[in-house]
Amino acid sequence: MEARYRKTLLLKDTGALDRTKEFFNLFLERLREEGLQEEVQVVRAGDLGMYGYGLVVKILPDEYTYVNVEAKDVPKIVQTSLKKSNPVQDLLYTPREKQMRVVLKNCGEVDPESVDDYILHGGYGALKKVLTEFTPEQVIDELKTSGLRGRGGGGFPTWMKWNFARKVEAAEKYIICNGDEGDPGAYMDRSVLEGDPHAVLEGMIIAGYTVGASKGFLYIRAEYPLAIERIQRAIAQAQDYGLLGGNILGTEFQFDLEIRLGAGAFVCGEETALIASVEGKRGYPSPRPPYPSVKGLWGMPTVINNVETLANIPVIFDRGGAWFSGIGSQTAKGTKVFALTGKVKNSGLIEVPMGITLREIVYEIGGGLSEGKKLKAVQTGGPSGGVIPDKFLDTPVDYEHLMELGSIMGSGGMIVIDEEDCMVDIAKFYLNFCVDEACGKCSPGRIGTFQMRNYLQKISSGQAGEDDLDKLEAICRATKKAALCGLGQTAPNPTLSTLRFFREEYLEHIRERRCRAGKCIDLLRYKIKQEKCKRCGVCAMHCPVNAISGSREEGYRIDVEKCVKCGQCFEVCKFDAVTRE
Amino acid sequence: MAKLTHQSLDSFRRELEENKGDWIKVGMSTCGIAAGADEVYRVINEEVQKRGLAVRVEKCGCAGMCYAEPLVEVCVEGVPRSVYGKVDKDTALKIVDKHVSGKRLVNDHVFNVKVK
Ligand SMILES: Cc1cc2nc3c(=O)[nH]c(=O)nc-3n(C[C@H](O)[C@H](O)[C@H](O)COP(=O)(O)O)c2cc1C
Ligand code: FES
Repeated sequence: MEARYRKTLLLKDTGALDRTKEFFNLFLERLREEGLQEEVQVVRAGDLGMYGYGLVVKILPDEYTYVNVEAKDVPKIVQTSLKKSNPVQDLLYTPREKQMRVVLKNCGEVDPESVDDYILHGGYGALKKVLTEFTPEQVIDELKTSGLRGRGGGGFPTWMKWNFARKVEAAEKYIICNGDEGDPGAYMDRSVLEGDPHAVLEGMIIAGYTVGASKGFLYIRAEYPLAIERIQRAIAQAQDYGLLGGNILGTEFQFDLEIRLGAGAFVCGEETALIASVEGKRGYPSPRPPYPSVKGLWGMPTVINNVETLANIPVIFDRGGAWFSGIGSQTAKGTKVFALTGKVKNSGLIEVPMGITLREIVYEIGGGLSEGKKLKAVQTGGPSGGVIPDKFLDTPVDYEHLMELGSIMGSGGMIVIDEEDCMVDIAKFYLNFCVDEACGKCSPGRIGTFQMRNYLQKISSGQAGEDDLDKLEAICRATKKAALCGLGQTAPNPTLSTLRFFREEYLEHIRERRCRAGKCIDLLRYKIKQEKCKRCGVCAMHCPVNAISGSREEGYRIDVEKCVKCGQCFEVCKFDAVTRE
Repeated sequence: MAKLTHQSLDSFRRELEENKGDWIKVGMSTCGIAAGADEVYRVINEEVQKRGLAVRVEKCGCAGMCYAEPLVEVCVEGVPRSVYGKVDKDTALKIVDKHVSGKRLVNDHVFNVKVK
């Protein structure tokens, strides 16, 4: 490649010891000796996206990456790669990019407030291609070839959904983009709406052309003001450019878009409740069938797709369905965006080909666990999903494999759990969420979730017996079967899955009244170990409720009656004299 | 703006390509703004104007590295195209001074370099 800039050497220590500065100076010194200090620029990088490779050196424009570099290698690198442009073979490493940007290719690249920048990056090329080269039937065929399945949680084949709606004869049809994104910890859809709004519009316009709809709605939760603002602007720009409205791109096709704001109820992400909400009614789900693709918004055939599903559409037509189906696993094609959070070093938004393993995600993309703790499990699918214990870390991530393990792919929340998290507590967290968010329409959803929560509460406060586990499981199974909508049908999943893989933790809470992670505060006892106590009095000073009495002379004691188990004393003691059991 | 047609889309794109010069992009999604990208964007804009530099300052979405926000990507002639992370006000000024004007990368904040 033609060098349009001076040679550049980037370096960063990716090991436990940060020797970046030391090596920076070593290289500078050596370059000075060689008289190359002006020709070569040495840069301390902040992060090179690689972890555990010791000192890493990158050389540009040659694109050589060297790992585990030692001081003795410095002269060799300068001589071979900086003075000349050859690689040092024995240090050379070819980074394998684990991530793959298909949906997010424009996020962070394109100015989301400028339609020109989107067009500059190839935007609306897919729309042009579809409008001029494809019949609706051919669009369906191409989508079928691509193998795209819904990214909103269910994984339903998109071509089938579109084809159902296409085949129904109706006076009007609708396209809805589901941007409700209610899972705690998930923000994939927000990022796409904020980062690449035109791609979602382009996907919706193509959907409209295919099924014969002339109107679409973007349902976005009101808590996403920036996403709403950017979509609003994108719609106005698209109208201005003739990409929305009548005679789109000078063809016969006509399509319009509007935004509808969601009030932030989790159940409104469920498609039938969402449709009720768009109609101006209370967001109550209704039984399916009929499915929205046959009878949806105002009784008309309606395609409802997730944000990420729609954002996949333009690239599929840009690069072809066959290209898309070349990515991913046997049953799941393309990529998936995840919001990787929890006890992982680099939390963030990642996009990976389907079929990648959880281990690759956590260790090679996420950089492993924060604070070097031990991984216990990975949670996927939010309140509708489950936990996957560490022994299954080599499981490929796709719809079927996660389902086998009692979890789901969900919309893309992925939370890393370590030893300091309590499984009962996690199950309780998700159930609390479901109890709060259940709409109350059906009794399993209303009462079942409430009862499950009560049992979990009983367990975490040390008041449960072993038979309570069976009762809890029975209610879980009944709710799964009897609830009207997806919320209730999946609400037991986190509980069932933690029971399946971490039953011994539940039993510990019941039999030994012990929470090994120290999360269930009702089971905790704080105590001062007199042998270790140096009588400094710091704990007594920090106790917010004056539960620690004593003096420097006679020592300190915690009054269990007064203690609110806030853990302050445990945190502040420098001598590890406060114990938590 | 005259409406685009399927015949004019490609020529319009080529026109845009020809006019695309140097640019700086600041990650301005919710994650970026929460980490202080607003200020970084403002500081860079002011500094570029003050110095009368021929570089466009734009916004962009979340590049995924939320742990490293605010993110700033710089593409100017004569320096490798780079993504800076954990950019604060001082680093923002350094980026304009060292990277854009001085054609040298700023230490300790490079998170990624793009060769193509
Ligand atoms: C309680 C509940 C909440 C849901 N929330 C969302 C959501 O926030 N976003 C979403 O796209 N789908 C959500 N869904 C799934 C939708 O009902 C629907 O399946 C999806 O929007 C279809 O789009 P897709 O085929 O593109 O995945 C939810 C489902 C349930 C049962
Ligand atoms: S209606 Fe959704 S759980 Fe009952």
